[in-house]
Amino acid sequence: MLLLRRSIKEKTAPYVLLSPYLFMLFVFFGYAFLRCFYFSFTEYDLFAPPQWVGFKNYLNLIQDFQFGLALKNSLQFAVIVTTLQTVLALLLAVILNQKIKGIRFFRALYYMPSITSSAVVTLIFMWLFQKKGLVNYLLTSLKNGYRIIAVFFVLLLMFQAFLVIGEKLKKRPVSCFEPSYLFLSVVLSFMVTFFLVKTGIVTMVEGLPPVETVWLNTKKIWPRNHRLFGISYPLGSIMLLNIWTTAPTFMLLYLAGLQDIPKELYEAAAVDGATKVKTFWYVVRPQLRNITFLVVTMGLISTLQMFDQVAIIGDQAPLDAVITLAYYVYINAFPSSVSPKIGMASAAAVFLGLLTLIIVLIQRIVVNAGEGD
Amino acid sequence: MKKSFAGVCLFLLLVVALFSTVSAARVQVRISGWGGSDQPIIEEMLRLYVTPALEKEGITVLYEPIADDFQRYIVNALSANTAPDLFYMDIFWAQSLIQAGQVEPLDSYIAKSKLLKKEDFIPSLLDAFSHQGKVYGIPKDFNTLALFYNKDLFDLAGVAYPDEHDTWDTFARKLEAVSKLDGVYGLALQPEFARMGALAYAAGFKTFEQNGKSNLFHPGFKAALEWYTGLAKSRAGIMPADLGQSWGGGAFGTEEVAACIEGAWVIGHLKDQAPNLNYGATFLPKAPSTGKRGNLIFCVAWGMNKESKHKQAAFRVLEQLTSPEVQQWILERGLALPSRVALMDNPYFKQNDREAQANYIVFRGASEGNVEPFSFGEYGGRWMDPINEALRAIMSGELSVEEGLREAQFRLDQEMQR
Repeated sequence: MLLLRRSIKEKTAPYVLLSPYLFMLFVFFGYAFLRCFYFSFTEYDLFAPPQWVGFKNYLNLIQDFQFGLALKNSLQFAVIVTTLQTVLALLLAVILNQKIKGIRFFRALYYMPSITSSAVVTLIFMWLFQKKGLVNYLLTSLKNGYRIIAVFFVLLLMFQAFLVIGEKLKKRPVSCFEPSYLFLSVVLSFMVTFFLVKTGIVTMVEGLPPVETVWLNTKKIWPRNHRLFGISYPLGSIMLLNIWTTAPTFMLLYLAGLQDIPKELYEAAAVDGATKVKTFWYVVRPQLRNITFLVVTMGLISTLQMFDQVAIIGDQAPLDAVITLAYYVYINAFPSSVSPKIGMASAAAVFLGLLTLIIVLIQRIVVNAGEGD
Repeated sequence: MKKSFAGVCLFLLLVVALFSTVSAARVQVRISGWGGSDQPIIEEMLRLYVTPALEKEGITVLYEPIADDFQRYIVNALSANTAPDLFYMDIFWAQSLIQAGQVEPLDSYIAKSKLLKKEDFIPSLLDAFSHQGKVYGIPKDFNTLALFYNKDLFDLAGVAYPDEHDTWDTFARKLEAVSKLDGVYGLALQPEFARMGALAYAAGFKTFEQNGKSNLFHPGFKAALEWYTGLAKSRAGIMPADLGQSWGGGAFGTEEVAACIEGAWVIGHLKDQAPNLNYGATFLPKAPSTGKRGNLIFCVAWGMNKESKHKQAAFRVLEQLTSPEVQQWILERGLALPSRVALMDNPYFKQNDREAQANYIVFRGASEGNVEPFSFGEYGGRWMDPINEALRAIMSGELSVEEGLREAQFRLDQEMQR
């Protein structure tokens, strides 16, 4: 009897401990979701009682041009940003997993973008992408100074080749990218280029018009004339910004995963004579499969719900070029100068929820299928 | 000992009772408007006029400035029943709140009032806050558009100042001439219907036609669009964004443009940012086809919360907020234009002072030519979005006028079907 009571106690304990969180979940998520689902079948302006209209909101969504744009932008954003940030996060993690001096400093440094306030970073990005901003300034410098840059790289190549061939002639084993030689070559070619520029032998190109690409306040797309697949310039800028700010968070996850890989695996691979690339592909990558699943899932969910950076850059860019589904929900819930369209907003929100669910499920199926090999 | 303790208790009880009766007689009316520069103005106004006038009646007023998007705030507050008793209503979105039944009609209060009468207020302003014959808001001030020009730059270029006889053509020639100066563009061209619309109205455009639709291919609209965006082709005009400025007044203040189309709000900006700028103001140029001017009216009114618990007290506050003394004070401080008819002949306007003269032009703008309120019925600000986008795209060379118009008309029809 006592034993039974104890087992009941033990079985219920986790639920009791979970209950505060579950309560919050039901009130702020479950209830809110059900209400949103109900509102999506009604016409509601926050004041008059909701009117049941059936599937009218959903039909309106499909016919709305702006909704189509929002869907296109959201999908582009999710696919491109998730792919690039996952690759970048993995690369960063592999680089920062090395045992070199001051690695903690670099880890902290690379993590900085993720802990900086998104709103502030977006503002700074807006300045960088102005017509007379830093991005265009750098592009102009690059365009005007291409001769100098070319001379520098040609010299670099020559010095490196010279040093490496010299060593090879002495029959010493040396890699083409021997770091100490590379460093020496960089310093030497920098000095020579500097001398050439100062004496006026190599000059900047004069008379080229400065780059004045409008990055934000435009609807231009790249590649041109691909209305379906083209990425608008402002959305592309937001993609860059978003990759830069979120990749470090996922880098942290990968770093944790990398440190879990037993040293023996690397040693065994080294004994078998695997190169670094092969070690990465056949040892490290499969070991990180679970982390990759987590990173991609979280990446997809957060990119599909992209809102804040669009809202801030939105002032500077045409709405059509940057609108995402989450922002579409927002401007329907709080449209400028008319009563809220909670019905439309709810329908779009339900759609966004379902879309996220479906995409994550597809991703799961793809990953599971990939596990067989 | 025991006795004195009981005595203290009794005394405390008495004190509490006394205070509670006092506080019951006192009514606090909450009023709300924007933050920023409105906050010190309203607070000074309350201190100087409203509080002294209502002290005897036991009414106190609390101003709650909202720094964020005010319309979003008031919609949320009204639906959550936490809204203040009196609040700002912009002409731009007032009708959405009125038609949703959230604003108290004021006719019965006005009928009983000794201070506030309908005929004291400029009729077109009052109309904008009326619905089905009932008045829902008392306008506190208003604005129209005027042409501000930099006298020094026109002198330097040896070009005559823009004046009230100018049409689009003569004005464009003046802009062309003044933009010959090094580093100076002609007119600041905000890609917004809030500026270009005044020109379209001048040429006979109507926001909604008889059938309730909007026709952007109306010859008047097209002519205004062509003229406005055409200026951007030469140095006669430029979008403020291309100068790194967010609005025309900003570019005007830094003397990068010789002229801008703005309301009286630019006066305060210039006072702060460019106190030595020698500017003048005149009416917007006339459309050559009609020989008329057009203009937009921007206006803010006080509205009363339908669910307010102190409606009588709130109306007393409303009377004070729009009283002749307060309006006179606002006008003389150069803060805004009063909505009372009686102030039209105010000596302030006759002063030989650039701010007073600019205010006078803006004041007169409300009765010159085809004047329309800055509101778009049930469609709200989204009515303008396609037009603003077309203006931007045409001026930055992404679309031709014809393509821009077609795109805007398509998107507008979509918007109006929703």
